[in-house]
Amino acid sequence: MKRKFLSKAASILMVILLVTTLAACGGKDSTSNDSEQPSKKEETTTKADDTDSKEVVKEIEKPEKIHIMMTTILTEENGHKQLIDKYKELSGIQLEITKPDHNQYYEKVNLAFASGDIPDVIELGGTNYTTYAVNGALWDMTDAWESSDLKASGIVKEQYVDALKLDGKLYGFPMAKGNGTITYVRKDWMDKLGLKAPTNYAEFLDMLRAFTNEDPDGNGKNDTYGITAAGLINSETPYDIYLREFYQDAKPDFYQKDGKYVDGMSEPAMKEALQRMRDAYAEGLIDKEIITNKTSTCRDKFYANQVGAFNYWAGYWNVNLETSLQAANPEGSVMPIPPIAETKYIERPPTALVITNKAKNPEGIFKYFIEYSHDGGEGQMLFTRGVEGVHYETKDGKTVALPYIATPEKLFEKALYSPELSITDFDDPIAFDERVTNSLKMFEENSFIYPIPRSSEVISANLPELNTLKNQIVAKIVIGELTVEEGIAQYESQGKAQIEAILADLNK
Amino acid sequence: MANINSTVTMKKKPLGGKSDLRTRIWKYRYFYIMFLPVLVALILFYYLPMVGIRFAFYKYTPFAPPTFVGMANFKRLWSTPSFWTAFRNTLEISLVNLFLSMIISIVVALLINEIGHLRLKKTVQTIIYLPHFLSWVVVASIFMIVLSPQGGFVNQVLLSLGIIKEPIYFLAEEKWWRPVYFFISRWKETGWGTIIYLATLTSISPELYEAASIDGAGRFKQTLYITIPSIMNTVIIVLILNLAKVLNLFESVFVLYNPLVYHVSDVIQTYVYRLALNANAPDYGFSTAVGLFKSVVSCMLVLFSNWASKKVRGRGIL
Amino acid sequence: MKEKFSFKKQYRARTIFNIFNFLFFTLVLVAVLIPLIKVFVDSLDASGSYGIRLWPQNPSFSAYKIIFSTTALYQPFLISLYVTALGTFLGLFMCTIGAYVLIQFEMPGRTLFSYLLLFTMIFSGGLVPTYLVMKDLHLLNTLWAIVLPASLNVYNLILMRNFFEAIPGSLFESAEIDGCTPFGIFTRIVLPLSKPALASIGLFFAVAFWNEYTNFTIYISNPKLFNFQVKLRSLILDDQSLAAASSEGIYAKTVQNAAIIVAVLPFMFIYPFCQKYFVTGITMGAVKE
Repeated sequence: MKRKFLSKAASILMVILLVTTLAACGGKDSTSNDSEQPSKKEETTTKADDTDSKEVVKEIEKPEKIHIMMTTILTEENGHKQLIDKYKELSGIQLEITKPDHNQYYEKVNLAFASGDIPDVIELGGTNYTTYAVNGALWDMTDAWESSDLKASGIVKEQYVDALKLDGKLYGFPMAKGNGTITYVRKDWMDKLGLKAPTNYAEFLDMLRAFTNEDPDGNGKNDTYGITAAGLINSETPYDIYLREFYQDAKPDFYQKDGKYVDGMSEPAMKEALQRMRDAYAEGLIDKEIITNKTSTCRDKFYANQVGAFNYWAGYWNVNLETSLQAANPEGSVMPIPPIAETKYIERPPTALVITNKAKNPEGIFKYFIEYSHDGGEGQMLFTRGVEGVHYETKDGKTVALPYIATPEKLFEKALYSPELSITDFDDPIAFDERVTNSLKMFEENSFIYPIPRSSEVISANLPELNTLKNQIVAKIVIGELTVEEGIAQYESQGKAQIEAILADLNK
Repeated sequence: MANINSTVTMKKKPLGGKSDLRTRIWKYRYFYIMFLPVLVALILFYYLPMVGIRFAFYKYTPFAPPTFVGMANFKRLWSTPSFWTAFRNTLEISLVNLFLSMIISIVVALLINEIGHLRLKKTVQTIIYLPHFLSWVVVASIFMIVLSPQGGFVNQVLLSLGIIKEPIYFLAEEKWWRPVYFFISRWKETGWGTIIYLATLTSISPELYEAASIDGAGRFKQTLYITIPSIMNTVIIVLILNLAKVLNLFESVFVLYNPLVYHVSDVIQTYVYRLALNANAPDYGFSTAVGLFKSVVSCMLVLFSNWASKKVRGRGIL
Repeated sequence: MKEKFSFKKQYRARTIFNIFNFLFFTLVLVAVLIPLIKVFVDSLDASGSYGIRLWPQNPSFSAYKIIFSTTALYQPFLISLYVTALGTFLGLFMCTIGAYVLIQFEMPGRTLFSYLLLFTMIFSGGLVPTYLVMKDLHLLNTLWAIVLPASLNVYNLILMRNFFEAIPGSLFESAEIDGCTPFGIFTRIVLPLSKPALASIGLFFAVAFWNEYTNFTIYISNPKLFNFQVKLRSLILDDQSLAAASSEGIYAKTVQNAAIIVAVLPFMFIYPFCQKYFVTGITMGAVKE
């Protein structure tokens, strides 16, 4: 018995010993690695700052090689190499591009930073941009932009650049406009029911009622409803990108009101918005399954004659929605509508191309890569439309897109930046489908750019818990489990600590 | 461990001193060499990275060298009531799911074994293992349609049979969510779960059954006294091995839950996922702390069940 | 007389059981098949649907045509096959030798080895440290990063050990007396007697390697080394490219459903070969009744 115990104790001890000794010797290694990294970073930043302030109009050195990590660039089999070669031919710079899988992109970027293999340029969207900027991982390009030839040329729509400024500093350059969602309705249903695009909330509700009650698909069954969405609150900011007609001027987020941050959930506008959703849900105008829908379910329901309206991306999606709808209903057609008088659409802040602190020659990268790719001419053509002869061709004075190499069913759309969302006065020689330009124009005329999300220790410590609560309460209110008053009271009492902490931090 | 010696191997060597150990090691020299590849892989890919466990006590973001923060990560994890709800849910959902999966897979395996017609038997088995190949995302999207309160198949059947008056929103009602979750999990994994039991069933010696049937034992008795005891070892091992993984529940819940049922469905991994969604920097220290916490709990579960197994059957799983 | 009666009774019970068993599996098959048929039917029908259909409205193979004509998927398919074959082989190798050593109950250190293995099932270092180790071993961007760590699967190893343990000890002893080396016993007795175990655990390995996704996206950044699952997702399942809207008007969902079917197909071919080892006709009833 004693022996048994001894041998077991010994083996457990061995395991622990092994782990700890490994931990001990391996540990030293990784700390020394880690501590090397940031000190190097600091050096480069201070150096960069020096050159910025002292020799402003100095000739900027051209980089030989730029290491980029991005996921939206075209794939290997669609002529990735030709693009890099063409750029080298035009500029003399070698691009080294790592293209991780789309779904794991940010995990890979984080890993690159954690393991010290930091690329020169990466793309960052939404909260990730703010996070990297406030953590000092990005090169401050404010001065480079202010003194650039590109800015002087006046071709850039500067509101998109300004949208990326954090406390007046610019850490990234927009790749393209952020775009946003617009309300699409079934045009064939509207025609059949004799409806016109609604101009205010009352008309909008009437439209939804007609979609719900008047059998717009003519199958004799009461199986349609007015509008659907993937959840009541979007999972990333802007939280209220869907259901604009119901939200109107309410925001389920912290925002600045008269120069001070407030919690949108406690504002009277939010209570009204929740009441609107609650009533419409009870009346059956909103998809009963809005809580469990994914975006793909919403699209499927739209194609399958179940729902008459939903919010989705402006631009190419107008074409996609119509093509898919017509695959099932040849008579079906889709129409984007302008927002009703009470509200506007929301444009996301653009995805940014950023230069990391590790880059040796950030000025050069900015000038020869970022500026060049937005030059409104040769460079922009290359980074939007690709390489002549591979991705597009000019015949009889007319430029047309060629099919994708790997998937010839489809015409080439973009090399890196979406041409239809260009932030410059780029005179694109290739024509778009009218539906793309029309929906984008309608969106642009009726939208505002949402401010870039804030990021801080306090927010990240408190916001997730609060958002969980928010999602729960809003869902319970809308499906009728709680009244608006009860729900908001519950939210305010249960989330009190978090709300106060976040507000104090934002209003600091 | 040594008690296995007495039950499994017949011959027991007299315990000796040091020189005896040396001869025993020499006797098994080839086995040590054979174990070498396993040991090397074990150290390289599993033990070397365990250096990282210490980061549970560090703040570690991609932007700065790790800094020691003591128990701060654990305190952060434990401080919110949502975490404890998630912890309780994880244990409840996983354990119920584990026991259901064992019982159902065993019963189905036994019934498959009883199908007399060989081709039919193979067909049945091939078909019921297929759902395993669908990803959780796809399974969720299929069941959302089947269970839809707006014309979903299940609701239509229940309505037309007069069992319910109003359609049920299965995935968004607290009292329905878990039963539905268990059903979907079993739908997806039962067939796959039978493989290991069927493989065990084939290794039972046919002589045992012949002897039993000569003694006049019917089919049911044969199952009870021969089949079930023969697969018991596999059952216990699968059970204990799966206990080590119960806290990792994520994807299946993630694709099926929603804010209305957080209270009964939120598990540790989904909770942590939401924490990371709005984090201002990925904190590897925090995620390591979560991992370590889960490991310690799993470790207790495994040790306890191994101990229980020893008490009841006289042996553990190793 | 009495005996004959009891035989009849038993026979009747058996028939009732068989009927119930048959009904039970009919029910199970319907429950399993309906959703699967939906996926299959949706893959054949270019017009989208929301709901359960058991027959396509306008059947066409265009979605499959798109997938099979996408040359970008050929190389990843081969990579998947390679990783699956190599991984399954290495996995079974590690499993069997590990399990074989673990059934040497008298071997000094056996307990330690067992605990060392079990420990890794419960504790792990986490993403970043593992990544850094892979980087130091120069395994990043190689398929070894996928195959090597996953080939040591403690769960499967312990299951395998359980199977080996069931081999009668007398066989080892007589082989030893015949002068077999430990390795000889392993290849001549242990492996041939464990076909059901090798088939089922081999299947576990093969499916796991075939479906491998996460490790590819973490350790591989060279798109030339992506496997079928990764490529399929990035090419087809992301709304971005192929499926979104082709000129033929193929509905994106149709291509996605076809992709699901295509990804399962290889197993529909391999499975029967494994199956014969663990669904043999060991029904003692066949002898008896």
